[in-house]
Parts: sequence; C-alpha cells; structure tokens
Amino acid sequence: MNEPQPELAHLLGRVALHDPAAFRSLYQRTSAHLLGLAMGIVGRRDRAEDVLQEAFMNVWYGAAGYRADVASPMTWLINIVRNKAIDKLRVGKAERAATVALDDEAMTLPDAPERQPQALIDESLKRARIHTCMADLGAAQRQAIALAYYQGLVHTEIAEALGAPLGTVKAWVRRGLDRLKRCLEQAGLSTA
Amino acid sequence: MNLLHPPRLDALARDYALGTMTGGARRRFEQLLRHSRAAEMAVLAWQERLATLAAPVLPLTPRDQVWAGLEQRLFPAVAATPSRLSWWRTLLSGRSVGGVLAGVLLAAVVLREQPGWIGLEPVQESLPASYVGLLHDRGGKPTLLASSRRHGRALTVKMLQPLAVPSGSVAVLWALPKEGGAPFAVGAVPANGSATLALPDSAEKLFFGVSRLGVSLEPGPGSARPSGEFVLSGDCVKLW
Repeated sequence: MNEPQPELAHLLGRVALHDPAAFRSLYQRTSAHLLGLAMGIVGRRDRAEDVLQEAFMNVWYGAAGYRADVASPMTWLINIVRNKAIDKLRVGKAERAATVALDDEAMTLPDAPERQPQALIDESLKRARIHTCMADLGAAQRQAIALAYYQGLVHTEIAEALGAPLGTVKAWVRRGLDRLKRCLEQAGLSTA
Repeated sequence: MNLLHPPRLDALARDYALGTMTGGARRRFEQLLRHSRAAEMAVLAWQERLATLAAPVLPLTPRDQVWAGLEQRLFPAVAATPSRLSWWRTLLSGRSVGGVLAGVLLAAVVLREQPGWIGLEPVQESLPASYVGLLHDRGGKPTLLASSRRHGRALTVKMLQPLAVPSGSVAVLWALPKEGGAPFAVGAVPANGSATLALPDSAEKLFFGVSRLGVSLEPGPGSARPSGEFVLSGDCVKLW
C-alpha cells in the first residue's frame, strides 16, 4: 500500500496496452495487499487466492477502462477485489444455506488481534489522521462499519454479531460512514 | 422514486460501495451504474473514501500457483514449457510472417539450428543449397516443413502440428510444377513427427520446376493424381 500511486497508474496504462511485463510488475507490487483484503472477506486462503486470480483476469481485460482522473489505481484494484470477494462470500453462503443449516463460519472472527476488524479500523483512522474527528463515534459503531468493510457482512449479520437490533445497526453504519465522509473532507481542507 | 436524486443516490452509492447492499437491489444498482455517470461518480467517491480503511490490512503473499495460473490463462504461449521448437513456433503463429520470403528465412534459420534434420553434418558456415517448403493448413497454421539438399536424394518432412488423417487414408505430399503442369506424388507423410522420403532422382532435377507443394488425403499410396482438395499447401523455394 506504500507504492507510489503514479507508478501504479503508469503500470495500469501499460497493462491496458496488454504489456505482460507491466502486468507482472503490477501483480508483484499489489497482490499481497489485495490478497490480505480478500482473505478478510472470504476467510480461507484458497478462496481468497481464487478471488485474486479472477480479479487480475479482470485487471488484464479491463485496464483500458481505468480512468486516472477519477480514481487512484489502488482504489480501482481494491474495488475489483472486494466486489469479487463479496460475490464469492455470498454465493458460498447461499450454497451452504441450501445444503446444510447455516453454520457460524461466517461469523467467526479471525484470531490474530491485528487482523481484528476493530483494530484495523482504528489503525486506518489514525493513519488517515481522522481518528480525532471520528472519536465521538462509539466503539460499536466503528465495529459495525469494520465488519461490513473487512468481512463483507450485511446488516442482518452485523446485528447478529453485535447483538444489536437491525434498525440500530443500519443507523450506525449510515451515520458512521457519513461521519467518515465529513472527516475526510475536513482533513482534505486542512491540508490543502 | 428517482434514484438519481442526489442525497438518495449518495446513500445508495455508499451502501453499494461498502457492500451492505445485497441481492436484487445490488443487481439493479449495478444496472443503473452502467448507464448513469452520476451514479458512477457517486460510487467512485465512496470507494475512494473507503479505501482509507484498507491501508492497515496485513499483506498476505499469494502462493506461486496463483501467478502461474494467471500466466497459463493469459499467456499460454509463454507459460508452456519451452521445447526446442517453441521459439519459432511462436514466431510462426504470429501471422506476421507469411509468404515465400518469410518461409525461406524461417527455413534458413531452422536449417542452421537443426542441420541434422536434413542430414547436414558437419555444420557448414554457409547454408547449403536446398529446396524447402512450408505448408499451411486451411486455417493458415504452419503444419509441415519439407526440405532437401539440392543434390540429395532424400526429402525430410517435419510436422509442426499433428495432421488429422482419417483411418484408411494416407496423407500424400505432391509437388506442383509451375505453369500448371501435372502434380506428381513425392511420398506419404506421417500424421505427426518426422519422416525421410526417398526421392527417385536428385532434388534439383525433381523440384527445379516446382513452385508449390500440397498434401491431400488419399485412399492409398498409389494415387496417380490428387483425388481431393489439398489439406495443406505452401510454396516450394530454392535456397542457395
């Protein structure tokens, strides 16, 4: 994630022209970070690697559609990977629900503390220097956003995981993200 | 309900980008995204904001098989285990080469690299005077390479890709003289691999007036003339 974005944008431009060397370089620079993201959502290495492979197929064929003026390269890549991971997670859940009773697999939180959604969101807010601005958000509110973002959970699943009413969870997520938007805008203004 | 009303659109884009929008709603919104620039911009803005959350995710290096799989799916020619022939096979598949000149150059390179194919030992500094032919299938894929030393009495045939020969049929190589003279049979060629065909006379005498070669499928080796269309054909040229 510390890759200079202009360099990634240049590589994406080369990939759009179907340059295999640029594609390999892009993969080498971004795949570990993207796999980490996919892993959080699908929860298993083999499935996460399937997601990564599918995502990079899309990158090869879709790089011409990348527009540097509207999205940073990493955001564009993250978006492809998260969408694929979320699709895979939900297809998997539907299949399990159709065959056996829905188990708790989807609810299981990863063990390593630094992989915990709560720790991740707090760290990311600090890095973006908006943790102070976001501080009046309760821990449960941040946790709700974190479960949605890092693990691809939907409102009902978040409600179940946090033992909170569905309507409350929806409001937490909505207000939390709107707050994130304001805080980022403020941070953008203050550094401008 | 106007989905494109700005506050509503922003809320939908937010739920879509986060991933909490599901099922039919998600599919309908994706449809909207394909047609509405405003919807697309709203989603992009949310994705950019949410990307802030991705920064501290711990990287996980993919196993080598992930890249190998991508390579195999996207660049099969590169990923294939390189055989001794693969570099010029790649060259050939590129369609950029074609015609007599390319065929001659290619054959020249091949002969230089693989002198044993036509019995050229020891390796000579200059290319031997030879007759060569490069035959393509109907799809334009190079399929058969034929070569003979100018004064030799053998013709070496190398199949570059397998030829489908129905059981009971024989693939026969014909020489087609310039100015529409009657084709004469050179010999039977294998479906794959290589073969050396004995020539009734020196290549120079047999092929001097020949401009093209063709392969037809015959009921037996004794046909006096091609009984059907050529499944392979190409130019025959003299090298010296």
